[in-house]
Amino acid sequence: MRTALILSFVVLTGTCGEIGLTHAMKQIGEVHEFTPAAIFGVLLRSLRQVWLWIAVSLMALSFYAFLTMLSWYPVSFVVPATSLAYVAGAFGAKFLLKERLSAIRWAGVVFICLGVALAWADQVPALPHLREAYGFFRLFIFAAALVPLAFYLFSAWTSLQFFRGAQPSADTQDFTPPVSILKPLRGLDRGAYENFASFCRQEYPRYEILFAVSDENDPAVPVVRRLTRDFPHIAIRLIVDPERKGANDKVGKLCRLAEEAKNPLLVITDSDVRVAPDYLRKVAGLFRDPRVGAVTALYRALEAPSFGAVLDTMGSLSFSGSALAARTLEGLKFTMGSTTATTRERLAEIGGFAPLLDVHSDDYEVGRRIAQKGFRVELLADPVDMEFPSESVRDYLRHELRWLIGLRHIRPGGHFGLLMTQGIAWAALAAILASSMVASAAWITAYLFIRLFSGYLIGVRGLGDPVVRRKLWLLPLHDCFWFFLWLASFAVNRIEWRGLVFTLEGGRMVAVASRPQGA
Amino acid sequence: MEPIIPSTRALKVKTYICLALMMTLGSVGNTILDKGMKSLGSIDFSTRAAIWQGILHTFTSGTIWLGIGCMLLFMVCHMLVLSWADYSFVMPFSALTYALVPLLGYIWLGEYVPPARRAGIVLIVVGVFLVSRTPPRTTPATRDNSAS
Repeated sequence: MRTALILSFVVLTGTCGEIGLTHAMKQIGEVHEFTPAAIFGVLLRSLRQVWLWIAVSLMALSFYAFLTMLSWYPVSFVVPATSLAYVAGAFGAKFLLKERLSAIRWAGVVFICLGVALAWADQVPALPHLREAYGFFRLFIFAAALVPLAFYLFSAWTSLQFFRGAQPSADTQDFTPPVSILKPLRGLDRGAYENFASFCRQEYPRYEILFAVSDENDPAVPVVRRLTRDFPHIAIRLIVDPERKGANDKVGKLCRLAEEAKNPLLVITDSDVRVAPDYLRKVAGLFRDPRVGAVTALYRALEAPSFGAVLDTMGSLSFSGSALAARTLEGLKFTMGSTTATTRERLAEIGGFAPLLDVHSDDYEVGRRIAQKGFRVELLADPVDMEFPSESVRDYLRHELRWLIGLRHIRPGGHFGLLMTQGIAWAALAAILASSMVASAAWITAYLFIRLFSGYLIGVRGLGDPVVRRKLWLLPLHDCFWFFLWLASFAVNRIEWRGLVFTLEGGRMVAVASRPQGA
Repeated sequence: MEPIIPSTRALKVKTYICLALMMTLGSVGNTILDKGMKSLGSIDFSTRAAIWQGILHTFTSGTIWLGIGCMLLFMVCHMLVLSWADYSFVMPFSALTYALVPLLGYIWLGEYVPPARRAGIVLIVVGVFLVSRTPPRTTPATRDNSAS
């Protein structure tokens, strides 16, 4: 009690004093000359600041309390304990001094506090009940390490349920409102022509396909022109709109496409998606239920042209598992780039695409906003095929990190909750704390077995992904990368996207170059 | 919005010189003060007279004054650097004294530094490194030096 009292006194008076001092010195302005006379002049001028006197009194109080503490405890306890002032100081700087604390600076402060807490740790063995506390801690870790394993099994079960029961009944097949397929393009993906052509081969009565590029010289333009020649009976339009409306270029194109579209049902898919001939009929069928506000689809890889793409496929598998589990638990609250289908009315209710112009994860956000309006987001029975690019591992890590940072801004709770899906990290921690080698091995084996089993049920049996079928054993490697990316996504706030650097502020992309850097 | 004063090379150089002085003076001062206070023994808070006695003892020790001298110089550097740099930038740097204090405590006072504390020191250094990756100043100038 005595310790806590004097500690909080030292920290609070000290921090308030430092904040006051900073305020006073900022009033005086930047010192440029460092001759003794100039420094003396600055000191004299600072004496005229009221804040300096307040600050000095507070700091003197704090200092004397600090000296007292030193007489009670060893310096290697006192100094680390008073370092709580770092957290207090960071908050004070942000809220009182209006300083701009970037994620990196926060991370630095957190590291320092952790470091200090660790430096503290050798005081703990003196406490009684330490052995019991450690035993409890171990049990807690073991219990927590079971959660991701249970999650894997649960998502495998939801996958079995979904793929068994998802085939639509015959009557929904007759619901065929006219559809506008919107495709914002930039550059060409592998197999672009085949991907686009699969949308022209739909067995569906009335639909149009709208492509948008921002540049007449975009390599996608000749491919679209070839498409109009090869499928003359399909209404295909190409819109060239060089105007850059916001940080997210794709949403800029969607705004224009939505204006141009003539039909009530809008189906947006990424350019690397390939679909089966009954795709539109199945998407539209789900909208027969008026409570359905949006439809999205799981996806599988057509092939994996590089190792980065294999890891990407494992990432999609992992994400599909989470999406299926989320669907069973609370209903889907997001849509994916593989398919984002909605009606004109629902889109109007969320204000169209314009509010998403600076949003990073636009596809995710459309579904989230429609779900917020009380509508259901449904999942298509069949996954669509995705032509993964021939990416390097570096590319893969970069875009996965970008996605995680985006998620942290849109759903910080969900992002933090990913902690309980980090099976490999929990299993490793449990293995470290386990009492014997056998127990350690059991934890690791349980993780590997359950993870691969669940991956097989979701990826091979459910999605029918040919890459997962061949490379499933790489799933634990993905989990390992994924864990470190997740950790990194707390510290990083800067994303590189299509050659431009942005920081994220509340899910909005702010281009670094144009960012006002003042207070 | 007023544009930020760019973190020029000159600004960084003078920031780091002041910070280096602060760290040296701060850790030396702390260790001297600790040595001084230890030689006085624990302060008795039972009666008012005993408290005054404690304060008097504290301020008549030469070692304490040497420590206070270091801390005063530390204070001057601190004030100077705060006239241009962020508090949230300067503050983490003083954590480096936490790396220096156990080290001096070990060399000078013979205090044992256990492995956990060594690991803590590494974390502190990483934290300070992270902070040093951010610009020293993020607030606009409020007033020019010559104006007040």
